[in-house]
Amino acid sequence: MASVFASQVVSRRQLIQSLAGAIGAIDPVAMRRPGKPSVQAPKAAPEPNLAMPPPTVRWLQKATFGYNFFDNLALGQLPGATDDARWANWVGAQLDPAAISDSACDSRLAGAGFTTLAKTLPQLWSQHRGSTDYAVRMRPVAEIECATTIRAIYSKRQLFEVMTDFWHDHFSTFGWDYDAGPLFVHYDRDVIRPNVFGNFRTMLEAVAKSTTMMYYLDLYASSVAGPNENFARELIELHTLGAENYAGVMDPTDPSLPVGVIGDGQTARLKYVDEDVYESTRALTGWTLKNGHWQYPADNDGTFVFRDSADWHDRFTKYVLNRRFAPDQGQQDGFKLFDLLASHPGTANFIARKLCRRFIGDDPPQSLVTSIAQLFQNTWQAPDQLRQVTQAILLSAEFKNTWGTKIKRPFNALVGAVRATFGEFVPTLATYGTEWSTKDEINSRVQQAGQRKFYWPAPNGYPDRSAAWASTGSLAMTWKMLVRLTEIRQQVGYDSARPNVIDVVGVTNATFPAASRTAANIVGYWCDVILGFRPEPVYTKALDFLRQNATPTEVLVLNEAWAGGTNPNLKNHYTQSRLRSTVALILCSPDALRR
Amino acid sequence: MFDRRDFLKSSVAGGGALALAGGSKLAFGATAANSYDTLVVVYLRGGMDALSLFSPGGSNANRAAYESARPSLKIPLSGTGAGLAVSADQWRLHPRAPQLRDLYTGGKMAVVLGAGMPAPVTRSHFDAQANMEVGLAGVGGGVGWLTRVLETANLPGTVQIPAVSAGSITATSLLGSTETITMGSGSDFRIDSGSWAWNVEPDFRTTAPPGARGIFSMLPELWSEAGAFEAAGRQTLDALNVIKPIDFGAYAPANGAVYDSGSGFAQQLKMLAQLIKRDVGLRVATIDLGGWDTHDGQGNPANSYDYFGNKVEELSKGLGAFYADLNGSGASNYAGTTSVVVMSEFGRRVRENDDGGTDHGYGSVMLALGGSVNGGLTYGSFAGLATAQLFEGADVMVTTDYRRVMSEAVIRRLRNPNVYYAFPGYSGYTPLGIFQGTDLPPSGNDRIFGNGFQ
Repeated sequence: MASVFASQVVSRRQLIQSLAGAIGAIDPVAMRRPGKPSVQAPKAAPEPNLAMPPPTVRWLQKATFGYNFFDNLALGQLPGATDDARWANWVGAQLDPAAISDSACDSRLAGAGFTTLAKTLPQLWSQHRGSTDYAVRMRPVAEIECATTIRAIYSKRQLFEVMTDFWHDHFSTFGWDYDAGPLFVHYDRDVIRPNVFGNFRTMLEAVAKSTTMMYYLDLYASSVAGPNENFARELIELHTLGAENYAGVMDPTDPSLPVGVIGDGQTARLKYVDEDVYESTRALTGWTLKNGHWQYPADNDGTFVFRDSADWHDRFTKYVLNRRFAPDQGQQDGFKLFDLLASHPGTANFIARKLCRRFIGDDPPQSLVTSIAQLFQNTWQAPDQLRQVTQAILLSAEFKNTWGTKIKRPFNALVGAVRATFGEFVPTLATYGTEWSTKDEINSRVQQAGQRKFYWPAPNGYPDRSAAWASTGSLAMTWKMLVRLTEIRQQVGYDSARPNVIDVVGVTNATFPAASRTAANIVGYWCDVILGFRPEPVYTKALDFLRQNATPTEVLVLNEAWAGGTNPNLKNHYTQSRLRSTVALILCSPDALRR
Repeated sequence: MFDRRDFLKSSVAGGGALALAGGSKLAFGATAANSYDTLVVVYLRGGMDALSLFSPGGSNANRAAYESARPSLKIPLSGTGAGLAVSADQWRLHPRAPQLRDLYTGGKMAVVLGAGMPAPVTRSHFDAQANMEVGLAGVGGGVGWLTRVLETANLPGTVQIPAVSAGSITATSLLGSTETITMGSGSDFRIDSGSWAWNVEPDFRTTAPPGARGIFSMLPELWSEAGAFEAAGRQTLDALNVIKPIDFGAYAPANGAVYDSGSGFAQQLKMLAQLIKRDVGLRVATIDLGGWDTHDGQGNPANSYDYFGNKVEELSKGLGAFYADLNGSGASNYAGTTSVVVMSEFGRRVRENDDGGTDHGYGSVMLALGGSVNGGLTYGSFAGLATAQLFEGADVMVTTDYRRVMSEAVIRRLRNPNVYYAFPGYSGYTPLGIFQGTDLPPSGNDRIFGNGFQ
């Protein structure tokens, strides 16, 4: 084709313009063009004219992996005279996940053919960490990825799943790390999940001892002979005090560094410096694994062990945040360090702000952060500390009254779309010859959008600010994934003999008798189940797309055929796939993707 | 059937003819490479161990101190895994980087010694990256330094693609820019995943009944309202429209350049090369290569286990292919208008740790690479590896402000003097002479003009 143009003496710009002229107006596609500001305007708060769904829809969008029509109905049937009263009961029930029957989710998990989820740590160690077959070795993390998706979609314990997601981000590890991946079942099942509504101090110690984190941040190899600061640095910067409390490279005795009373009633330095990282490193030497180390070859089951020998644990005095750790205290050094960090107001503020950011907005009001931080610190020894903290956020006025301050991250967008549309997506490790399995395709698409689970390489976890996920790369690939979701088949995505993941046509037909299948009825229904209301312009635009040249109240025949001739009557043209594409449009609307 | 109408449509929207033409500029009578420069910033995330990428050579006075601090990690002078000598063996490039060595000895790559951010000193990856990319030395902002470069670049009113951030999530240095396209893969960057029957013109199919509209052409109508999220949606739709005509699959690299199909980094460089040759107006691009946080098991090229070397090889092969692809002559001399700067958030501790790794340090190196780089040389000073010469007795001293290197690229190659606007608080810029080009007096920028109220 190029040779056709080669003989023409025209510039490319002229060529494009002349071609554009020949086929009618096209947009002057350019990222920079007159009249368009080159830098984003500072964020306006509140957003102008934002259409809001009803309160319980908003609250479910924010506290679960996405609104579901029947979940909202069930919420409406809880005891209570008002939305607020019923919401308090919903939150209360969700905070006791063990009391929630989850049979539909459990049966999907049971039927998925997973083989590693019940294995003990020593079994994972010998059967997977010990394997050089990559598929065998990584099967635990691959199954957790599947199970996490299944639970996010189908579990009735939605708040528990959302908080599990939060704490996995907070104590982020790269799931496919060659050493950590084989133990990932242990990390998810025994380290993160049991503590989600428990005590932060307990979770902190469990994470530090976990085989997965030990490998990911090298603590297993930290000894008095060879201290490794990787874990201690991220323990303070990412897990507890946060970079907001880092004073940089400074003398710890610098008088400008503030000191105050912390949660344990004693004074401590309020900002940390590099010496605190090094001293914490020393305090944690000897925290290691039974990993067949040459000194202890018989100890080889992957479990935690503290080694107090002179070449493993640093026996001398340590000073962390102006606290003196007496010599020869062995493992108590580590316990004392975790107590200090978990009771520190810096930690309380850092964690409170992160939690509020997840539920309320990128920059949550300081007044709420302060009150949540106070609760976090006051309850630092309570076994249900995180249950109390989570509850306080979800019952706050700030939670209830804000809307659209966050956007659904890609995994949330995926799960939310399946939840809203009653889809059937049960990812498993089953293979289908050379066919691309639906699980692999979806994982690939959510990875392209930037948020494949347990795939963030750095220890700071996936970003939780809108700027990251409103990028063209993430948003475009999220749309592409959601559009595909309305076409993809179960198990093998392109096998047209298999049922759709989302049965748009079947659900529509089951909802409306043939005589009621008007574009207005159908689009109204799908807006209701996906968005919980019928906002503009989404409703009208989706309606226009579905009806084509029919009237909104004209009955549509749901067929899958060319409507005839070279100039077919569009209202009869491929109505089934048009209906699926209508649902795709609603799923890709701003109202479906904000929370 | 392929009628005239379809032909025109496929030419404009489907991309066949023009996409091919993108690689054959001469067909349109062009006589020179792009009339503007492109700056590609490669960020090595995790803190790259500069003393392994660019180690003291046999004639370097710091060699003994280096060997003593790095008993197991040192890059050997001879035998298996010997470093590649440059600058009269003052320095050794890592042995897995023969492409970089060739560029260096060919005068197309320079190394900046002791590079980094002088203050605030932070050993946090995330603080250091944010400080450098926002360019504000510890002050928050939400707008990246490259965004401010673009804002003040005095660009023509219409530019197809002024900036690309390769990946799913925008690099912090380009945050806030409405003119940037963030994408991981050009060929995947299109909404063509819907039903066949409604994936129609002006979308991706060429035959459809008159009047039929597809999903992609309906999306803008859903994102038409005011609000920050809707604005982001419209920017995304702009980006999809701009990218749609480009056939990334048809791109054939020039001069025998081979981009490793297994390397995401190389594939993203290939995408950038195609955009540069297509003359889409690309001024700045960012691209990441992660995995440099080697606290443990860094490896050594003298041994079979060489983790760091694997990373270096990916970097070197990718940049080598990129340069070769762009290095045509005459109208195809895109290398002459493309400059690459490679950086990391900090170097690593001089003394290795007991786990075969290195911990967070301070001074690092930067690489500058391109046809307009005065290469084959090192720039900046190296403070030395004796304990008294180190920062806090432990780290390579920062002796060259990374902003000085970037400012020179911005002034001499992008011809934008507003480096004090890009880097608020920065002053006293003088060029090191890394890049060819004309000096302009460095200045801040009057925001009134920057906002287009001239």
